[in-house]
Amino acid sequence: MSGLGGLSVRFRQSGFSVKIPSFLGPSLPYLLFAGAIALVGLWVENFYYLQVLTFIGINTLVALGLNMLMGYAGQISLGHAAFFGIGAYSTAILTVHYGFSPWIGLAGAISIAGLVALVVGLPTLKLSGYYLGMGTLGFGMIVHILFREWTSMTGGASGFVGIPPLSVGNYTFYSPTAYFSLVWGTVLIGVIICRRIIDSRIGRALRSVHDSEAAARAMGIDTHMLKLQVFVLSALFASVAGFLYAHFVTFISPGTFDFLTSVRMVTMVVIGGMASIWGALLGAALLTLLPDWLHTFSEFEMVVYGLILMVVMILLPQGLTRGILDLWEKSKGEDIDIKGESDGDSFR
Amino acid sequence: MAILSVESLSKSFGGVQALQDVTFCVETGHICGLIGPNGAGKTTLFNLITGFYAPDSGAVHYRGRTLQGLPSHRIVGLGITRTFQNVELFSSMSVLGNVMVGRHVRTRCGFFRAILKTRGARAEEAETRNAALELIRFAGLKGDPEAPAADLPFGWQRLLEIARALASEPSLLLLDEPAAGLNAVETAALGDLITKIRDRGVTVLLVEHDMSLTMRVSDRVVVLDQGRLLAQGAPREIQSDPEVMAAYLGRPKEAGNA
Repeated sequence: MSGLGGLSVRFRQSGFSVKIPSFLGPSLPYLLFAGAIALVGLWVENFYYLQVLTFIGINTLVALGLNMLMGYAGQISLGHAAFFGIGAYSTAILTVHYGFSPWIGLAGAISIAGLVALVVGLPTLKLSGYYLGMGTLGFGMIVHILFREWTSMTGGASGFVGIPPLSVGNYTFYSPTAYFSLVWGTVLIGVIICRRIIDSRIGRALRSVHDSEAAARAMGIDTHMLKLQVFVLSALFASVAGFLYAHFVTFISPGTFDFLTSVRMVTMVVIGGMASIWGALLGAALLTLLPDWLHTFSEFEMVVYGLILMVVMILLPQGLTRGILDLWEKSKGEDIDIKGESDGDSFR
Repeated sequence: MAILSVESLSKSFGGVQALQDVTFCVETGHICGLIGPNGAGKTTLFNLITGFYAPDSGAVHYRGRTLQGLPSHRIVGLGITRTFQNVELFSSMSVLGNVMVGRHVRTRCGFFRAILKTRGARAEEAETRNAALELIRFAGLKGDPEAPAADLPFGWQRLLEIARALASEPSLLLLDEPAAGLNAVETAALGDLITKIRDRGVTVLLVEHDMSLTMRVSDRVVVLDQGRLLAQGAPREIQSDPEVMAAYLGRPKEAGNA
């Protein structure tokens, strides 16, 4: 168990569960999370900070979906920028060229990305390991070329301008604070969706596929169907993120949705820690901020970037979240372990 | 009545004829032992019955319907579940989690109901949990059901795999060398468990190298040798069958035989 489940278990082990009613236990981290979003939204007034935080939220959404595919189902996708882009371009085309409301754009983004994921996933998910990586990589490149070359629809290499902002009734999400809240509200919903899937029959099936595909099949799990469903789910997360991105920046260009973006998305999941919801958040935050911090190194930026990735992978191969949790537990010493064991015994 | 009938099943891998024209039946409610020296084709037979491999020729009938061409997950749904020779547990999950995965084909909560956390989904989850806990007790596993499955001693991992297989409510349970790596005490307990499983109404097809275990619990024994059916019958008949002895111990020299 990792992420939220692990957190609540830890509460129980250190004797907190007496104070927290059981129905509140699992939802406590959500409340804390929602509280943190509200606090940041109220306190931070600097436009630049809010903008960066909004980008982190958008990336978190992508990482959450990709984490379901990579961390739980154990499948890699090197083409997720394509779904991010499909979300962004679908809503851009529907709102600007056809004059639909952005909410129709959202429906379009979700349905087109879902459909494309289904068609692409059907043959590619029969592949595994490197082959699946190559298959999705090829798909990502094709979509990227489409964005660049289908000039009449996408505006080509020079980009797509004039995407309208989002609005509900008379209210328009103009202010950075409003958009920040919208994006992070969506992230919160995304976290809850992921958590609920992971804690369900489907989540168990996903983890079983990751642990031993042969045994999963022997337990009657249609592994191919399951992988396809998670692939579509992760594409939907990416497309919603793309939708939010397009209406936030109001200008999109193919460069945002290239192969490097796909790699960065995979890196977010790996760095944060696979199979961990909070890991997705941490990874997204780090990979969004890192390029900004690294500007000080000017032309050595990529070198430092690569070094950081290498150091993390060598020292904390299970990702930052797991690594930090382990360090924290180690620093608390042996007594925690002993206490944990005695709790385990009293369970029976 | 036969729950499973294997009809002239053949399978070869490249030049190796793993199974050749094998025919036998498993009676409903029996424990059927399947023995044979290494390389006799026992595991291949398992893989053919459970849809992991497709046969070159021949057919497997289960309760009067052919299993030909069905994917393995459908076969589990019909009531045939297997265990593995090398324990294949879900190592990142708890003991309880492993057994709960076994309930997969008997439960139906999908993505949408999981996300909405419907009343039905929650009830099903509680039911799954209780059924799994019952099976953990039934298999004789003690200790914390929330403990990681990978931390169990090897003998218990075997039992856990059986509990997980039983969670899918099979009518026919295929056990692939469940006593391999167990000590004498554990093997004896395993024998009792297999008998208890049959008494629950589950037919068992048992592949095993441990002769005393197989002979003790089996109602009937089928012997394979080099991909062919060598003999079948009650354990006592098999024990005194000269063909079987020859397969296991080697043939006496021609001169000595005369």
